[in-house]
Amino acid sequence: MSEPIIKINKAEEEISVIKKIMEDSKKAIVDNGWHYIYWGLIVTAALIANYIMVLTNTSINMQGMLWFISMTSAAIIEGIIERKREKHVKVKTFAGRLLNTLWSGSGICMFILGFAGTVSGAYNAIMIFPLISVVLGAAYLVSGVIQQVKWLSALCIFWWAGSILLLLYPGLHSMLIFAVMIICFQVTPGVIMFVQSKRELKLLAA
Amino acid sequence: MTDFNYHEIDDVIHSRIRTAIMAVLISVEEAEFTFIREKINATDGNLSVHLKKLEDHNYISVKKEFVMRKPVTRYAITDTGRKAFEDYIKKLESIIRK
Repeated sequence: MSEPIIKINKAEEEISVIKKIMEDSKKAIVDNGWHYIYWGLIVTAALIANYIMVLTNTSINMQGMLWFISMTSAAIIEGIIERKREKHVKVKTFAGRLLNTLWSGSGICMFILGFAGTVSGAYNAIMIFPLISVVLGAAYLVSGVIQQVKWLSALCIFWWAGSILLLLYPGLHSMLIFAVMIICFQVTPGVIMFVQSKRELKLLAA
Repeated sequence: MTDFNYHEIDDVIHSRIRTAIMAVLISVEEAEFTFIREKINATDGNLSVHLKKLEDHNYISVKKEFVMRKPVTRYAITDTGRKAFEDYIKKLESIIRK
């Protein structure tokens, strides 16, 4: 009489073990935040250099060259680092692939907005920053959902609010405001994620 | 007094360790041997035997390569394996519902 109950219990136990293993495996760290820090610091450095160039009346072509060389070389270096890192990754997840695709796509969008938009004369170079903020807001919103990190998604509000501010009050100060936004909403979250991933790895090793 | 037909249960998956392997691999795209070992707390020898059995039934695929001169084995679930695992879960759920 008790045989079916035992089997039901076993089946329930089996399913709960499977669920636990699946959740645990999905949690495999997909992003340790280094991309946010890397790009955040490079863009901030380029923004400060560009600001100084404007103050010292450096030609617009030179300013364009600064961005083109710094962004292109940063992308190439990142590609080389990623290729090396990929070989040592123990697990590949769908979430990881989605994140890579999302940020690669966003990067291309920013590149087009930053270079094609200004070279064609479609808008003033100072308008690059609010436009890039819009793209970043969307990318953060989706990143947070993929990684199931709510505070990361919530950063989109700050990016979009910053974008509105920069669209309403454009000027030379836009560069500095954008640099502050990069430090607060990109580098700082990156550092938080980096520390968290280190802590998780330590716990896993223990 | 039987609550299910045991012939319907997939023998290849119906083992604690092989179920665990399949649960790990269905959650990721690809995983290294060491990752699976960490997740299910199995020994190298035991894990290899069970991985081989799943591979023989085409439930998982294997990719071997060298990274920095060290051999690395990566496993991924196949479409056949995914279907078998989903059927296995359905079977377990039907047992619970009865």
